[in-house]
Amino acid sequence: MSSAGRIERQVLEELSEEEQTLLKRVLQIERAKLNVSAYDATDDLLAVVKEIIP
Amino acid sequence: MRLQSITMTNFRQFKETQRFDLRSDTVKPVTLIFGANGAGKTTLLNAFSWALYGKMSDDVEHQQRLVTDSVWRATAIGNAVEVGVEIVFDHEGHDYRVQRRARMHKESDQQSPIAPDPQMWITKPDGSSELVGAPQEMIHTILPHGVSRFFFFNGERIENLVKKGAHSEVQQDIKVLLDLEQVARALVHLPKVDRKLTADIRKHGGDKASDIQKSIDDLNDRKTPLREESKALESNLATLDEERESVMNLLRQHSETAPIQKQRDDVTNELDEARRSLATALSERANLIATRGFLAFTEDLTNSTKAMADAMYQKGALPAPLKREFVDQLLDEGECICGTPLAANTEPWKKVTNWRQRAGLQAVETVWQRLSGQIDPMTSDRRSLRDELGQSMKRIGDQRDRVSRLEETKSELDGKLRDIRLENVQSLESKRIDLDNRRSDKERQIGAVNHDLEQITKDIEQKTKDRKNAEVTDELAIKARARSELVQNVRRALEEILEIRKDDMRRRLDEELKSVFRSITHKNYVPSLSEGFELTLHTNVDGVQLPVPKSTGENQILSLSFVAAVSKLAREIRKERRAEGQAAADAGTYPIVMDAAFGSLDHDYQEAVSRALAQMAPQLVVLVSKSQGLGKVADELNPYVSHLGVIESHTNLTSKPEDDIELRGYSHPYIRHAASEFSSLKEITS
Repeated sequence: MSSAGRIERQVLEELSEEEQTLLKRVLQIERAKLNVSAYDATDDLLAVVKEIIP
Repeated sequence: MRLQSITMTNFRQFKETQRFDLRSDTVKPVTLIFGANGAGKTTLLNAFSWALYGKMSDDVEHQQRLVTDSVWRATAIGNAVEVGVEIVFDHEGHDYRVQRRARMHKESDQQSPIAPDPQMWITKPDGSSELVGAPQEMIHTILPHGVSRFFFFNGERIENLVKKGAHSEVQQDIKVLLDLEQVARALVHLPKVDRKLTADIRKHGGDKASDIQKSIDDLNDRKTPLREESKALESNLATLDEERESVMNLLRQHSETAPIQKQRDDVTNELDEARRSLATALSERANLIATRGFLAFTEDLTNSTKAMADAMYQKGALPAPLKREFVDQLLDEGECICGTPLAANTEPWKKVTNWRQRAGLQAVETVWQRLSGQIDPMTSDRRSLRDELGQSMKRIGDQRDRVSRLEETKSELDGKLRDIRLENVQSLESKRIDLDNRRSDKERQIGAVNHDLEQITKDIEQKTKDRKNAEVTDELAIKARARSELVQNVRRALEEILEIRKDDMRRRLDEELKSVFRSITHKNYVPSLSEGFELTLHTNVDGVQLPVPKSTGENQILSLSFVAAVSKLAREIRKERRAEGQAAADAGTYPIVMDAAFGSLDHDYQEAVSRALAQMAPQLVVLVSKSQGLGKVADELNPYVSHLGVIESHTNLTSKPEDDIELRGYSHPYIRHAASEFSSLKEITS
């Protein structure tokens, strides 16, 4: 638990719908490329942000 | 990942093509394979990692000799021979077939090193197969190589997983398995995303927002090298720790210094404990003073307050059961309860007004009673505060004495070691002192860099708030700001999630480790996984936790317990609802394949480990020798065994007697004479 004794779900629930979408997509992208240490997901993530706020 | 089969072709001892079915279910998760020393148990273990990663463990000698010696010898120069391993497994709802094979042309009796690429097929729901484009990447996605060592391991070397100095590497590997690594990577990439997004604010944000953005960028630019410096310093510190530990070990092993070193280790541990106790006592005293310290200054105040209240009490008889509010109401309404009109300044009005004064005293009495009730216990509170402070001061004094006594003893012992007239001991001791000094120096530097980083982070937070309030008119800049806010909020949430996951993972691993360890050992030892991922073993002596030296057997049990805990946690974590979304039904499922799992354990431990193993993983492949695996081990595992196998060893040494193995009431060939040396992998079905 963090210092404030919070759990992951609380952190997620405090996010807006857009923020939750971005967070989920970010983790999916990073997880899919976990084995390629040199992979820089910056552009993928940038595209997701632009999809969410067009 | 659940293994379905392994097929080896001319791979090391395994001549020609040999396939073994490994499919198991939750009721019978175990495959138990027996093999004599040298028959190929370790080769079988390595066949998995060679097929998946193209590597065998470092301790395998003559790694380039992949083809069975007798097959290579029989191959004519100029001819070729096939070598390879194929593994079939399923993972998160898909079936996979991985194959690493090569056709080796013989040019001499020596085999040349080869590194064939893997090929991989995925089976589609209609049963057809499709070639996977980047097979090695896919394998790493399913089970990263660094993590595989927790699932494919040699029991005799399993201690390496938890040996001193290995914890930082272990911590890194576990991060991948337990869903931390992707969060860490996102935290590296998101600031870069933000930087690209905010370029528009810098360009079109107007004077104020643009300036703020430039300051934020400058702060971020300063942050990056500081972070790298912090990382480098941490890594230097870890290296110094390892060096120091190895110097200490050399001192411990030296016959002249061993007893003094042992004494110094004990004193150092006790000194650490005494310093912790002193810190606790100081913080208890601080807490006492912060919460109840004011009581010490209340003696005069309470006495005078009580005297005042007593005087007020004595002043009037306070008989009237009237409330001032009631008298006020009569005066307001202009009529007494007896019906007499209460016109201002008339006699009845004056009488009732006088009652108002007296009624007020009732309130005084109530307050006086309440006050008296609180003043009296304050005297005893003061007394108890004095007593507790006295005790606290005594504890602090005792611990201070203990710390200084231990410091003196340690100095004496340091001196003894320094004065020993053996050149290597003196140089080791000087090295230790030098390493200690360098460690302290590094710790100071880390503290300073981390302080700077914290300050920059705070400054960035503030500037980001300022940016939010700054006036921006340009459409592009407005959009960029909104996108940047989105990214920043997600980054902050991920930072918190990373901390939560890290802490949660360590705590749960620690709990699980304790539970598995307890189920195996009969000793009153408690393992702990520290925040730095160091595994320690303690025993409880009269309420005090003391570190215990780990024997090889205990180290093995500790390591097995750790692997079991990792395996269980991987499954649990992937099944939980996480930010990444719902996981597949078998997410986090990995087989455990272990060679010589029982190492040098005694019979009782072998039995306990076997019992724990059967419940340890969703799929378990255990490779054992006859002496390791028969008896209690077989009895314990038998109810869980779905496949039983023997590596039949063929030897051309006729001086060595042939041997059989008795399994499930039948005798099976274990060692056989043959024209050449090779092994066959056979399933026992009867």
